[in-house]
Amino acid sequence: MSRSLGSPSSLKRKRPEKDPTGLVDAERAVLNVIKSKKDLGIWAGDIAKDTNLTVPVIQKSIKSLLTKKLIKEVVNIQNKGKKHYMAVEFEPSKEISGGEWYVNGNLDKEFINVLKQLCLRYMHRQKVATLEGVHNELKKSQVLKFPISSQQVGEILYSLVLDNEIIEVKSTGLGEYHSIPIGTVCYRVASGTGAGKGPRIGAFASIPCGACPRISLCTPDGVISPSTCVYYNKWLNIDF
Amino acid sequence: MVSPHGIQLAVHLISSFYGDLCSKVCECLLRRGTLTLALLIWYTELTKENVIDCLRVLIHQNCVQAFAIEQEGAFDEAPRIVTQYMALFRNIIHKYRAPKFMQIVSEELGNDCLEIFQGLIQHGRLSINQIIDRNEQTAGSSDVHVVRESLSRLLSARFIERCPAPEPFLAPPYEEETPAKRRAKSAKLAGEQTMEQRALAAAAPIDSMRFVMEREMDDISEEKGEESTNSMPLGEKRKQDVLRSDEDVLDANRKKEVLWRVNFEEFVCRLRHKGCTSCVKTRINDEAGIVLSAILELSRHSEAQQKVEKSDYLSINAIYDKVIKKEGGLGMDFDRIRSSLAQLGCQSITTGPHESYSIDINGIIEMAQIEEAESVVLRKYGREAYRIFRLLSKGGRALETYKIAETTFVEKDDILNRKEEKNGVQNQKKEKNGILKVLFSLWKDDYLHKENVTTSAAERSLFCLWKVKEALWEDVLDDMYHAALNLRLRIAHEQDQAKELLQLPREKIVGELEKKYKLLGRVRVILESSLMNLDDAIMLFNEF
Repeated sequence: MSRSLGSPSSLKRKRPEKDPTGLVDAERAVLNVIKSKKDLGIWAGDIAKDTNLTVPVIQKSIKSLLTKKLIKEVVNIQNKGKKHYMAVEFEPSKEISGGEWYVNGNLDKEFINVLKQLCLRYMHRQKVATLEGVHNELKKSQVLKFPISSQQVGEILYSLVLDNEIIEVKSTGLGEYHSIPIGTVCYRVASGTGAGKGPRIGAFASIPCGACPRISLCTPDGVISPSTCVYYNKWLNIDF
Repeated sequence: MVSPHGIQLAVHLISSFYGDLCSKVCECLLRRGTLTLALLIWYTELTKENVIDCLRVLIHQNCVQAFAIEQEGAFDEAPRIVTQYMALFRNIIHKYRAPKFMQIVSEELGNDCLEIFQGLIQHGRLSINQIIDRNEQTAGSSDVHVVRESLSRLLSARFIERCPAPEPFLAPPYEEETPAKRRAKSAKLAGEQTMEQRALAAAAPIDSMRFVMEREMDDISEEKGEESTNSMPLGEKRKQDVLRSDEDVLDANRKKEVLWRVNFEEFVCRLRHKGCTSCVKTRINDEAGIVLSAILELSRHSEAQQKVEKSDYLSINAIYDKVIKKEGGLGMDFDRIRSSLAQLGCQSITTGPHESYSIDINGIIEMAQIEEAESVVLRKYGREAYRIFRLLSKGGRALETYKIAETTFVEKDDILNRKEEKNGVQNQKKEKNGILKVLFSLWKDDYLHKENVTTSAAERSLFCLWKVKEALWEDVLDDMYHAALNLRLRIAHEQDQAKELLQLPREKIVGELEKKYKLLGRVRVILESSLMNLDDAIMLFNEF
């Protein structure tokens, strides 16, 4: 393979140019690509494709940009293993962060549980309440130091419905619904002994077979059988 | 179609009540469907005498029904009448429900009626003379009038009924010479019902005779004639001579007396109403339970079918009158009743001053079924799975993985796991605590149905839709039969283990033995009460 040699001056390695902000060319190119992705962020591998720079140069530029606090590292909920970068002026979009309930790519379970407890406590006091009622109560209570949207409260309430802690009903305008217009969706705790008071354990679930992970292997004369079942022994409190 | 563990449970019940030979015949009928005597002998490899004896026992215990059909002869031979035998799965399963039925009779009608009822539970079918004889043996002496009176009370409560015809003849679906319209109609009707259903309908005594006690004792000969005319559908008397083939063999010693048996339908109906009321009491409140109970009682008398999906439209005044007569309903006014009716989701019609309400009974039963399945999911897979299952069962449609995660507050998984999701594999080495772990465990155990959707070749476009499996209830019911069988086997095992102890005289059971004896009693109570509770759930899925 032949290669034409240029003048000695052209062989000399060019000193990277610096702009007034103190960024070299490569850094600027990387920053521009990252900025162009706005609140979606970009993976280092994709920066290489977009800028045609080599991976070591990109890594060096990223490191430098991070130190200069021009970009930040964000966790992409859909791909936690790949590091994503975003310009500091943007906040991660819902697709990247996972939504309001996620912090650094992890579900903020503690916060969710606190909100659930607050809503539930209010519901037990009120018996019947609308979404607006619960939302207003949370705003008034001043327990939360930051604003919470009505949609977030709705999500929390629906999660309580799924937990069978409360029931979603339509107001009939009668009895305990007297203050709520007829047909309005509202939530209530049950005055019965079952629904709206947490999950009930049914007859099948209360015997060992209902929760047995080996039920498909259990036969009358097999290795796993009701006569020799360890779960039964534990349940019936029989010592062998 | 009976599920595999349902058959196993039925066979176990027959085996423990009537022995292994009967259980072999019964298993053959349950697994292979309706069979002739010759085929039963062939499949069971038993002698003809044994099979006939077993069939006699099983028919007497209402576990098998015989019926005759006309079979076309081969090679231009004349058609011949063949007797078929079919197993009555539900009646077999009712065997272990006897304590529940007896409790209802005892509470409602007292001990005299219970005594007769017990005899029918034990012996399957009895004539009035046999009932009197049995009463004499058990009670020492028996007053015929008291027995007849008790029998009459049992009949008016519909707890017992006249036995069905021993071997009804099933006419071919239609005759060639009938007019085209009738032919089309009868063909349509025949298409709706299986041969077994037609046989049961043909065997059932006509409604006017089903719960009526005749003067059998006074005139047996008159009774004889009456039974032959009442128990056979019209137009079939002429075929009696050909029908007698198997019937003669099976019922050689049978006197032509009216036989009585337990009417399971009535008990199932009562337990259905009881189940609905208790479900509403726990889900809504006691007042709604009282109102529902009143509605069910009011519509009970007009229930032509056993399982009505919706109650009749009942006026608010009638409901009020019934409610105030019920325990705890005295203080209720119209407004409170209306509020309860609204909470129950009743449909209402208002014409002028009259307002009527109807309730969706099936809706309540479905709600109870879902609750039962949900509690299994909670116990087996945890709270997150419970929430996911409830979301999918409430929505009744397929949802995407991330949508499920967002709504139920379960950790989302990243793209690597989503690739596995598409391939339907789970990497055991890689620990996953997110939504996929939960969804996969539910999917693996057949609770959920999974569907992959690809919108383009890019990785981001892999989607997975999840929904509750359509035939889930059949699987849950089969698991319940399995659990009921296991409970019964464990009861038998415990009895067997303590056989020697149980044979000892009571005064010799002291010290360590007494401890063991008490433990055995406690274990038996736990197992038997669990079996009865589990049976309530089984009835919810199978009978209601």
